[in-house]
Amino acid sequence: MMTSQELASYFRESLCIFDLKATTKREALAEMVEAVCAEYEIKDRGLILEMLLNRESLGSTAIGKGVAFPHGRTLAVRDLSIAFARSARGVDFDSTDKKPTHAVFLIIAPPQDRDNLYLQVLGRIVDLIKDDASRERVQAASNYAELKSIIEGQGL
Amino acid sequence: MTDHPARKQDQAKLLVALQDLDHMIRDAEDAKTAAKMQEMGFTMDGIAEIKKARVELTEHIKPQLLNRYQRVSQNYERIVVPVVKDLCTGCFAKVATSFRYEKTAVVTCESCGRILYFT
Ligand SMILES: [Zn+2]
Repeated sequence: MMTSQELASYFRESLCIFDLKATTKREALAEMVEAVCAEYEIKDRGLILEMLLNRESLGSTAIGKGVAFPHGRTLAVRDLSIAFARSARGVDFDSTDKKPTHAVFLIIAPPQDRDNLYLQVLGRIVDLIKDDASRERVQAASNYAELKSIIEGQGL
Repeated sequence: MTDHPARKQDQAKLLVALQDLDHMIRDAEDAKTAAKMQEMGFTMDGIAEIKKARVELTEHIKPQLLNRYQRVSQNYERIVVPVVKDLCTGCFAKVATSFRYEKTAVVTCESCGRILYFT
């Protein structure tokens, strides 16, 4: 079982965006993928975006309460990567409850990644967000230190 | 999609996209994974949509490459593999350095036959 500290270690400061410019799902994904590709020096950003958009046509990953969890596996990434974005204005992410999305957790893994790690990380983040207090704090977080302390489960 | 002859990198990328899609379809159709996803709150009922996307994608891949992809898939779960530090990550055999600079053909590992993707 992964500890909260381990989970938090996947969040890099350069991949946490607190003033997302995007207003649509496609723009939001593109902005976050751009950050991931810059951080990990990945050249085929189009592959990542295409995979994520395909995943969205399978079923929206904005499962309500203002949070979305776009995710999937692609050969274009070498390691499990997480990005976070917050939008005060809100993004139209085609949410199941039709409400705007204010926090986005992006989780991408290579196909050779054991199912366990990728699904474990996704499950842990979803669990954290199901908790009303944590979710409200995440949606209000304005910097990396704040976000990290919420993920680490401090100050709850 | 463009009319001009697809360059090697474009075709290799399309094969990666195809494999990504095949993994997604497999996950969505795998009862265990689907149950886990559902438990988390994710729906995956758009399977017909992504199968349609797969058909559209294959229309842009040269038939001989598509055949090669199908052939390799009969032997391996991972069909397209990245080359890391000049090694095929499918079988860890050394990949000739010149392969990286091959401009016209999509290359396969001489040892295991998997399709190589240069990141
Ligand atoms: Zn090989």
